[in-house]
Amino acid sequence: MKKTTIVLLSVATIFGLNGCGNDTPSSPEAKTYAKTSQEVYQQSCKKCHGENAEGITKKKAPALNDRQAGELELDLYDVKNGGTNQSSGTEHDIMEHNMQKLLDKGYDYDPKSMAEYIEKNFYKNEETKAASDTE
Amino acid sequence: MLKEGMELIDAHFKNEGISRRDAIKMFGTSGAAMLMASGATTEANASSSAVKAKILIIGGGLAGMSTAARFTNSLENPDITVVEPGDLATSYQPGQTLVGGGIWDKSELVYKTDDFVPNGVTLIKEKAVEFDPDNNTVKTSGGQTLKYDYMVVAAGLKLDFARIEGLGIESTITTTGDHSAVSKVVGKNGIASIYFQEGSKDTWIQMQKFIADAKSGKKVKGIFTHPNTPIKCGGAPKKIMYLTDARLREAGARENADLTFYPNGSKMFGVKEYHDAITNQFEARDMKWNFRHNLVAVDPVKKIATFNRHWNEKGAWDEDLEEYSIIPRSEKVERPYDFLHITPPMKAAEEIANSPIGSSKGWVPVNKESLQHIKYKNVFALGDIAAVPMGKTGGSARKQYKVVVDNIISMMEGKELTSAYAGYTVCPLVTSIGTVMLAEFDWTKKPTPSFPLDPTQERWIWWLLKVYALKPMTQYGMLSGRA
Repeated sequence: MKKTTIVLLSVATIFGLNGCGNDTPSSPEAKTYAKTSQEVYQQSCKKCHGENAEGITKKKAPALNDRQAGELELDLYDVKNGGTNQSSGTEHDIMEHNMQKLLDKGYDYDPKSMAEYIEKNFYKNEETKAASDTE
Repeated sequence: MLKEGMELIDAHFKNEGISRRDAIKMFGTSGAAMLMASGATTEANASSSAVKAKILIIGGGLAGMSTAARFTNSLENPDITVVEPGDLATSYQPGQTLVGGGIWDKSELVYKTDDFVPNGVTLIKEKAVEFDPDNNTVKTSGGQTLKYDYMVVAAGLKLDFARIEGLGIESTITTTGDHSAVSKVVGKNGIASIYFQEGSKDTWIQMQKFIADAKSGKKVKGIFTHPNTPIKCGGAPKKIMYLTDARLREAGARENADLTFYPNGSKMFGVKEYHDAITNQFEARDMKWNFRHNLVAVDPVKKIATFNRHWNEKGAWDEDLEEYSIIPRSEKVERPYDFLHITPPMKAAEEIANSPIGSSKGWVPVNKESLQHIKYKNVFALGDIAAVPMGKTGGSARKQYKVVVDNIISMMEGKELTSAYAGYTVCPLVTSIGTVMLAEFDWTKKPTPSFPLDPTQERWIWWLLKVYALKPMTQYGMLSGRA
């Protein structure tokens, strides 16, 4: 078989023709999770990050209610994957370690869904924060 | 196995009466030709939209210019402005590794921004310095106030050598802009960095001196760093090390050189299959590595690199975690070098990081699939400055610019945003002169090969792709908004 020719052609074809915007990611089947993001938050996260994701200083656990989902998702991704880059490492050394332990205990979640859950229920933007501070 | 594959390919070409040189030529031109042909098809098929809006693009690098080109192709009445102060911003950055390894000349990388401005697009050669997304305006360094309906932020990133003590560098630079603050020390006396265009040329000069020393019988040490920030082209810190190894072998001087990779992280790659493959490749070449080392200082006179070595120790029992807590520890360690390749810390430009469209980490926060800003719905971001996991490669920008353009046009037409980025990134990991491992992956953290070939193998065919096809593909495909 002219394996080389086939490869050369497919290189040109795939790299050349996929400009039509119909790329489908060749990802395997979508991952499923035993618990919902709400269950994971209520059973585990809140013990250190607080009832309202406000953070608990004594536990050295930062607030999670000061960022919107898009920003929070990147942090959760970093925590779960030990970094967002090949060899840069994580920006959350302690939580990366803890997260591995929590995954072993079954507290797995999708970063996007968890970020959305936290934003929807706990997010405080500057206006609402100012309002609650003056209450 | 690699040798076998090479012989196989050579044999195939030989059977067909084609020399390797001819094959290379054929491959290069057919790739580009296919692209141009496909571009024409795409153009003919593309339904151009009659909707009108003022589109402002911040940054005229590969991401920004490709976005401008695709808008131009897709809109009947395009009104597009690109703000880009750099004369060489559109240059071909992926080639810097090859320049550093002495395979290409620096002149092959240089694209003048002016030559890639699509017809009808206005280029403002100033810097965007103030962002007021509530009023849809941007102020430029020249004092202009630009109004927009949609803004695309593709401003790239800054190289922050200033964070490394002892180099005497006080300001950040960009890859293709004024590099004088850095090149007075990086690119001299054994210190090198391929992360800026001029530095890639100097890297080859420094590498040749290093190899000459090894060849003369001197025992020499080469150190290759990887910082604790996200970086563009996550593979380049390793690629330049592989090329140093290859050049030393070529000179017959490999046994006199000790080569060590010092990354801040504790992995070679986020995808396990590639991590394992790279580890094996390092071992086979006697290339060493020490994880969890972040370069914090350099003494260019004594030739000593200082790292922050960090590790975790077991702490007290944590009842909430139902696990022992951990205590992070670190210490400074000094390592002498003869050749030091620095991958600098990287960050978003301050004027964007600190503006309303920035974030606590600086990068522009977007929905990672639609690339729409999380607060300002008429603002999108792509390329190195976008806060998406992985990415920061030309390969990811190649997927992202189509998503951005298609989603903005959908918005202009009052439709849902349906185009989604899936996290695709490609790292053509140069492992020697003549071999590349084409590491393609996405957010599933699994290899996502475009071809029915084991993606963890080093292949000559991907070397051809990297060295001969990707540049014309970028030039004729991406920068014309077609592929």
